[in-house]
Amino acid sequence: MRFLKTIFFSLLFGASSLASAKTIEMDVNGLVCAFCAQGIEKTLKTFPATQAVFVSLEDRVVAVQLKEGADIDDATLRKAITDAGYTVVAIRRTDASLDEIRKRVSDHD
Amino acid sequence: MNPYKCWAALGLLGLLPLVVSAKPIAFAKGKTVMFEYGAGTMNEVQVFYAPRYWYSIGGGWLQLQSEDGAKQRHITYLRGNLLAKRWNLPAAQANVFVWGGLGTATGNDFAGSTLARNIGFQADYETRRVYSSFRSDLQESDHFSHRIDTLQLGWAPYKHDYNTLATWFVVQGRRYTGDLFEGTETALLVRFFKGNTWVEVGATTDGKLQAMAMFNF
Repeated sequence: MRFLKTIFFSLLFGASSLASAKTIEMDVNGLVCAFCAQGIEKTLKTFPATQAVFVSLEDRVVAVQLKEGADIDDATLRKAITDAGYTVVAIRRTDASLDEIRKRVSDHD
Repeated sequence: MNPYKCWAALGLLGLLPLVVSAKPIAFAKGKTVMFEYGAGTMNEVQVFYAPRYWYSIGGGWLQLQSEDGAKQRHITYLRGNLLAKRWNLPAAQANVFVWGGLGTATGNDFAGSTLARNIGFQADYETRRVYSSFRSDLQESDHFSHRIDTLQLGWAPYKHDYNTLATWFVVQGRRYTGDLFEGTETALLVRFFKGNTWVEVGATTDGKLQAMAMFNF
C-alpha cells in the first residue's frame, strides 16, 4: 500500500511539475551556424504554445518559453528539430524563464 | 551557398567564388535570394525555396564572360539541390549536397540558344571556428563544357552565437577547366553574417573584386 501511495504521489508531483513548466530546453547537435539555424526558431515560433524561442550555439541549446498553461509534447518537439535538419539529444522541462537561461548561458561564455 | 547551380544550365556557374561557400539549402520552408558579382567575369541572381531541409528548388540567371571579354554567355536555369547526407555532431556539422539543373544558354561564340545541363556536389565540414568545403560543378551544352573544382578553408577569429555577428576569413582555391577560363585561381574573402543576411567580399590574388549578398527568409 505504501508503495502504491509513493507511486501515486510521485506521478501527481511529476504531472504538476510538468504542467507548471515555463520552458522547454533541448540539447541539439549540429548547431554551428546561426545563419542555418534560423529554421529552428522559425518553426518553433509557429506553435500556438510558444511564447518565445532562444537559441544558443555556445551551449548547443534551443529553449522554448511556453505560454501560460500551454505545453508542447516531446514527440512534436523532436519532429520540429529533426525536420529543421538537426538532432535532438535531450529534452528538459524547467521553471526557469528564458531570461534566466539566457543569463546562465552568457555567464559561462 | 553555392549555390547553385545545377540545373541550369549552367554552366558556368562554377565560376562563382562566393557562392560556393554557402549551402544550397537554407532551412525548411525557407527562401533564399542571392546576388553575386565575381571578379568582373560573372554576375548572378538566384532564388531558391526549400520545402524541406533536405531539398530546395529554384532558378537563376547567370552572366559569364572570359577575362578578355571576348566570350560571353547568359544562362537562365532551373535547379534542384539535395542534401544527400548530414552528420550532426555535438560541436560540428558535415554535409554532402548534390544538385542538377537544366536551362537555356546563349553566347557570342555560338548562334541561337542551347540547352544547358549541370550536375555537381559539395562536401563540407564546419565548426564555429573552422570551415572547409570542396565543390565540383560540371556544366555542359552542345557548345561548351566546364568543370570547376573549388576548395575553401575558413577560419573564424571568434565563436559567434545565434544573435551575434559572425566573421570568417576564407581562402579559396579554384581550378577551371573548359573553354571560358583555364587554370587555377586563389582568392581571399571575408564573410559576415547575422540574422538573415550574409555578405561576402574579397579579391583574387590578382586584385579582382568578388562580392556576394544572400538573404534567407
